[in-house]
Amino acid sequence: MNDRASTSRTLNEAKAQYEAEIAKMTTRKPEFATASGRAVAPLYLPSEGCEDEYMEKLGFPGQYPFTRGIQPTMYRGRLWTMRQYAGFATAEESNRRYKYLLNQGTTGLSVAFDLPTQIGYDSDHPMSMGEIGKVGVAIDTLADMEALFDGIPLDQVSTSMTINASAAVLLAMYIAVAEKQGISPQILKGTIQNDILKEYIARGTYIFPPRPSLRIISDIFAFCTEHVPKWNTISISGYHIREAGSTAGQEIGFTLANAITYIEAAIRAGLHVDQFAPRLAFFFAAHTDLLEEVAKFRAARRLYARIMRERFKAENPKSWMLRFHTQTGGVTLTAQQPDNNVVRVTIQALAAVLGGTQSLHTNSRDEALALPSEEAVTVALRTQQIIAHESGVANTIDPLGGSYYVEKLTDELEAEAADYIEKVEALGGVIPAIEQGWIQRQIEEAAYRFGQEVERGERIIVGVNKFTSEAETPIELLKIDENVEKDQLRKLKEVKESRDNALVKQHLKAIADAARGTDNLMPFILDAVRAYASIGEICDSLRSVFGEYQEAF
Amino acid sequence: MLAPTKNRRVLIGKPGLDGHDRGAKYVAHVLRDAGFEVIYTGIRRTPEQIVETAIQEDVAAIGLSLLSGAHIVMFGRVLELLKEKGAEDIPVFGGGIIPQQDIATLQEMGVAAVFTPGTSAQTIIETLEQLITRPA
Amino acid sequence: MQAMLGELVQLATSGSSDVRQIRAAARLMSLLEQEPQRLPELFRYVPREAWPQPELVLGITGTPGSGKSTLTDALVAEFRRRDADRRIGVIAVDPSSPFSGGAILGDRVRMMRHATDSRIFIRSLASRGHLGGLSLGTRGILYIMGLIGCKTVLIETVGVGQSEIEIAGVADLVTVVLAPGYGDAIQMLKAGLLEAGDLFIINKADTEGALQLYSALTSTLNLIPADETAPKNISRIGRKRPLRRDVRLVSAMEGTGIPELVDVLERHTIEEGARWLAERETSLRDDVRRAVLEDARRRIGSVIDDEHLDSILRGDAAVADISRQLLEAAADVSVNQ
Repeated sequence: MNDRASTSRTLNEAKAQYEAEIAKMTTRKPEFATASGRAVAPLYLPSEGCEDEYMEKLGFPGQYPFTRGIQPTMYRGRLWTMRQYAGFATAEESNRRYKYLLNQGTTGLSVAFDLPTQIGYDSDHPMSMGEIGKVGVAIDTLADMEALFDGIPLDQVSTSMTINASAAVLLAMYIAVAEKQGISPQILKGTIQNDILKEYIARGTYIFPPRPSLRIISDIFAFCTEHVPKWNTISISGYHIREAGSTAGQEIGFTLANAITYIEAAIRAGLHVDQFAPRLAFFFAAHTDLLEEVAKFRAARRLYARIMRERFKAENPKSWMLRFHTQTGGVTLTAQQPDNNVVRVTIQALAAVLGGTQSLHTNSRDEALALPSEEAVTVALRTQQIIAHESGVANTIDPLGGSYYVEKLTDELEAEAADYIEKVEALGGVIPAIEQGWIQRQIEEAAYRFGQEVERGERIIVGVNKFTSEAETPIELLKIDENVEKDQLRKLKEVKESRDNALVKQHLKAIADAARGTDNLMPFILDAVRAYASIGEICDSLRSVFGEYQEAF
Repeated sequence: MLAPTKNRRVLIGKPGLDGHDRGAKYVAHVLRDAGFEVIYTGIRRTPEQIVETAIQEDVAAIGLSLLSGAHIVMFGRVLELLKEKGAEDIPVFGGGIIPQQDIATLQEMGVAAVFTPGTSAQTIIETLEQLITRPA
Repeated sequence: MQAMLGELVQLATSGSSDVRQIRAAARLMSLLEQEPQRLPELFRYVPREAWPQPELVLGITGTPGSGKSTLTDALVAEFRRRDADRRIGVIAVDPSSPFSGGAILGDRVRMMRHATDSRIFIRSLASRGHLGGLSLGTRGILYIMGLIGCKTVLIETVGVGQSEIEIAGVADLVTVVLAPGYGDAIQMLKAGLLEAGDLFIINKADTEGALQLYSALTSTLNLIPADETAPKNISRIGRKRPLRRDVRLVSAMEGTGIPELVDVLERHTIEEGARWLAERETSLRDDVRRAVLEDARRRIGSVIDDEHLDSILRGDAAVADISRQLLEAAADVSVNQ
């Protein structure tokens, strides 16, 4: 547990070494100062005589256990990526919104897919009725993907795709689009969420049962390690677990338990932990209890580093680092008095930045009602920009480090998360715990407790159970065009009629054969995608071998 | 403990592909604590499955949770099926993410009540008590 | 109310399997759940001797998390596969909250694929925790399922309370389901289940610990004397049951062991079907007796007061005196009503 190597340095020695290291690194500005002109140092440390625990529990940014941040210069070197999640209705409309956002200063693209796409159904499947283009863009075939990224040079953007059960197919499509732009997969940058375990736990967009799903995920890890090395192959998510009503401790506990499961699966599939761990990424929520959230992020970093080094014996320091994206908590936003949400999002974004996130999505104020309007999205982006450039919190690293309260909370949250991991292991691991409904029940109970507290007025939600107002100001909502469904169906029909159907059939059969064996599925999926096989067809091929998951209650 | 004299069986389910069941589970839990017997059908159900279940289970009301924007289509289909099967006497209510302007549309279609986010459990229970009129 | 009952029975026996029949059957079930003591009234419309009976009523009980619902779902699918015309009923019981009297009935979640199959009738039931009337209520639902032509009925319940074990006892055969990985699964079995079970299923046979559980269970069962009779709270009073102790490994999710299990069930049905019909008659009588006693208890309960209790505690009267007195008082009350 004790990091002998670093505690054998005194704090002063470590400080000197750290300063020497960052002196060689670039910073955003030559100097950092407060709004009134006071110089701001990169890092603030305990005063003389308080060093004992410091090296073991906090350390320096960019060094084990990474409590204060995973990069040596954090936001002094580079601000977090401002990545706003978007995508709806048609590929063409989404394409326009991406170009708008890129012009406004977003530094990465984020794609949301509609539910049929997420669940591997074509738009013409009976279950897709009423769902096409509603929560994201509808992608049936490569043709839709080409329209989505038309005119967007994939070698110059980083694209995060919120896709899980059908991630292999969407990744294959992205690679195929890049190919057509003459770009090698070797330089593609981005992320696929690809976290199926949280689907069973909290989000519900699963297709296959857990074990075959883990096989697909291992295949993606292996394929990308070799062919798409800059790609983040998984975004192990606590966000949805939190949205489902979990506590902060459960959020990180269950997420890290899921991480352990994925890592074990990849190792069983023959990969060495240092081969894929550096590319693992995480995704958390930021709620409104500012200080608890900051402590949560710090606790997660420290616990993960310990797990990676001690349990998995990873040797590459990059394998120990918890890199994460944060989204402000959608469930905290209220339909009543929507302007209050701008304030909530600001506090939550601040928590994420003070907590050292690598990238951040800020919700729009109308999020409780529908997909956000352009104006609301702009305000959300400006929130991040004001925090970055006007608040001063990005001028030094881990500014709340050393706060008695925050350090205590960090310790407590780490212990709570570790306890949940142990409980899950006692049940046999995440998959048995899911099949027994145990994890789901913990979350439901926490959600129920929270709801009851609000009902009783013990927990105040401004504008909802206190400080309510009679008149509701109507706000302009984004309405999805009802022709979307018709257009998508027409496009799909055209593709299916104009492609080489014999070739498609051949590739689909090859996928099923590979699924029955142990070959990596990605090359087979790529072949099918290039031939304009649809997502439904590819997933049905896999369904025929893997079956479908049955909900546990 | 008293045996209920009114039929207090209620179906709670999620039609369509959206899998966020926090709200549905919360309402089920709250209704149980108010003495209702909640037939919980889970996520990813078709309107056909929901209506067949409601009829077999002789429920006093059907509650649908929808967050994906498919509410007009889904409620519409459920109401249509209930009518086809001669079961339009079973009131249908719902909740989730439903924009204000659509609530009026749903009510015109025949949905008995729509609970928006932030509605108190008390309101839901009271509304339901009024909706369920069937004797056991 | 009488007219309605007759009408409902008529609709339920119309044999058309259409929605009106299903609704009528569902309404009858609600009625009998509410007032289980009224089951015998239905025999005015269809005499008991002519009442259609299922061939097999299978109780499925066991520890929470053992995968009972998945097993029920798999059995239903297998029965359907073998006989496309066979109508199958499922009664899925979940415990009521002792505080609110409400319940969450979630067994259907794992059986949804059968929801639109017109040959499968699933009824979710809350145990409601009232004594005596419980198995009669379940029996009432069973009778309605028979009425609409269900040849096989599965009753699924968690074996955690007395009422749940009672429900299992309404069945011809009781399957007890366990699964490995839950600590000591055998310890978790509610007292009475080991004695009451006819078939023991170790589910999730493909997971670690299944074989150990199998041998542990087999040894435990061998320790139970061969002529053991079922406990009185399970409605097989005084009947000596043939020794079964059949322990099987299955994986309901994978489907392994299911066809073999159904083979065994079908064999039992052929061999013991006639005896089961006779036993059901006896059990029905027991349930009716219990319902009468429950009703009597309620009547006396409505006239007992502190004075009566005080006189016993003072030594002025014996319990038996007060009891007789109250019986007479209760009889007078009902005569005058």
